[in-house]
Amino acid sequence: MKLLIVEDEQALLDNMLSYLSRGDLVCEHATTFREAQDKLVSFEYDIVVLDIMLPDGNGLNLLRLLKESRPEAGVLIISAKNALDDRVAGLELGADDYLTKPFHLPELNARLKAIYRRRKFQGHKAVQFNEISVNTDTYEAMVHETPLTLTLKEHELLVFFIANKNRVLTKQTIAEHLWGDHVDLQDSFDFVYQHIKNLRKKITAAGGEDYIKTIYGLGYKWSV
Amino acid sequence: MSLLTKITVLNLLLALVAFGIGGVRVYHTFRYEVQRETDFTLRESLDELEHTIRSGVPADGLQTHLMRVTAIDTVLPGDTKFEFADTLAMHPVLKRPELFRRLTTVRNIDGRYYRFMLMNVVIEQSDIRRISENIVKDLFVVLGSILLVFNFLFSFLLLRPFKKTLEKIKRFNLPSGALPQFPASSTTEFRRLNNFLTEMLHKARTDYRALKEFSENASHEIQTPLAVASGKLELLVESPGLDDTQVQLVQEAQQALAHLSKLSEALLLLTKIENLEFAPQTPVNFSTILAAECQIFGELAELKGLQFTAGIEPGIHLRLDPGLARILVSNLLKNAIRHNIDGGWISLQLDAKQLVIKNAGAEPPVPPAQLFGRFQKSAQTGKSLGLGLAIVKKICEVNKLDVQYTYATGVHEVIIRF
Repeated sequence: MKLLIVEDEQALLDNMLSYLSRGDLVCEHATTFREAQDKLVSFEYDIVVLDIMLPDGNGLNLLRLLKESRPEAGVLIISAKNALDDRVAGLELGADDYLTKPFHLPELNARLKAIYRRRKFQGHKAVQFNEISVNTDTYEAMVHETPLTLTLKEHELLVFFIANKNRVLTKQTIAEHLWGDHVDLQDSFDFVYQHIKNLRKKITAAGGEDYIKTIYGLGYKWSV
Repeated sequence: MSLLTKITVLNLLLALVAFGIGGVRVYHTFRYEVQRETDFTLRESLDELEHTIRSGVPADGLQTHLMRVTAIDTVLPGDTKFEFADTLAMHPVLKRPELFRRLTTVRNIDGRYYRFMLMNVVIEQSDIRRISENIVKDLFVVLGSILLVFNFLFSFLLLRPFKKTLEKIKRFNLPSGALPQFPASSTTEFRRLNNFLTEMLHKARTDYRALKEFSENASHEIQTPLAVASGKLELLVESPGLDDTQVQLVQEAQQALAHLSKLSEALLLLTKIENLEFAPQTPVNFSTILAAECQIFGELAELKGLQFTAGIEPGIHLRLDPGLARILVSNLLKNAIRHNIDGGWISLQLDAKQLVIKNAGAEPPVPPAQLFGRFQKSAQTGKSLGLGLAIVKKICEVNKLDVQYTYATGVHEVIIRF
């Protein structure tokens, strides 16, 4: 998967580059509107991560340009504004998703993979990991040939883990992924624990391997 | 009461006082004149009588029921003064006692003294009064109606620019819409008012835009470094060789960052609500929004072992921004879950008139009304922002909803009336 990150804040760009480059992603970057424009015209990208507040132009114009020239590319908008207007405008212009700063890097990773899945494997939106396969469209999951009966949240959790395999996911990151803005309930970490306990139980009961490793005091990791 | 009505009523009251005083004066003048005229007639009759006696007609033959002449045999020092008095006497025609004017005096006619007593019927006081009242009443009706019509007309014409100005201000929309153009007026006061309003509205608009821009920029400037810091910590966690204590430190730092980020978002939201940036254009289906939030929070409540019941009447529409509606409901449900007890319960009821959310919980440390203040939170939930209810209150205030928080014997109750 080839990625272009358009972000003017160098430190944030570094974060994204070093996190995403560890996976199977080829990351390029641009820090200005002009640079991004040049790269978008010259090269093809699967997904563009776009900060809409750029020093020399509005990212939404870049989005417009991209949708005209290469409509098949996925777009994920990043903004510090939680303004609903921006979100709606971005999605109406053809962006696939919208993330508000600050965001968790695993969240960004999972969203990028979801966009990629939707764009590349239309009609066959399955995530496969060893003996486990998950269909993100029909919410069906299988271990070998045994179907798993998962709740919506357990399903989301499983996809999130597989998208971020071999990475540490803190309880906070998981909680925010599952419940979004509603997460500042202090008990949400216990909820995460319960969901993970159930997911583990269901996978092992169906004959799958327990890939979820607990990292004491911090969170969990889907380790291979 | 409108200014025009007030002016008219005041004018009528003033006219009433003026006519009242005028009426009393008319009555007294009238009475005085009547009396003077009666007295004058009595004196004339006396002169005539004296003349008759002097011409040799015997006094005894001159008696009628209205005049009495008695000759006095004793010698008196001279004429007495005229003595006028009001008296009651039988009226010869009407056969009932009536008020008479009486003149008594002693006169010397050709060396003999005579005592005269003359009476004449006078116009009664009640008649005078009735006549005065009728005059004043007629005058009041005629003059009053002229006054009323012209007053109303003039005031209406004079106040028209003021009314137009009021209408324009009422229709003015701070976030959007053109600054109103006030009509020209020849009245100095209205011209001054219009100039002042134009300046103030212009300033309000500028301040509004500045605040809006500032809060948006502030949000961007705060959230970006927070995103950087939080990302660095996430990368640090990934690096090999960290021991448990170090991991714990990173985790706590991350939580503090998340708290800070949420805090700045909540404060920005409060500013935006105060700044009226969420103007609902059309009513939203509140029932649908509520049902969606109930699904999320019902699950969270269940995970915490709380009993969650919801009764939602479908199709309830409210004029409220859909985003704010979600925030309103989720903040209340969040509180109901957070401030609950082990094995507690939450119940929610929506009908056309109100939304009621009740939950079991311990007594709050401060009176419930104070909980709507910013940064009011109980010690045991130190991780909460302390802004949830402040946001709820602000949303209700701006959208003219009535919100009440009460606590009684282990039950917290929030009622929002539409």
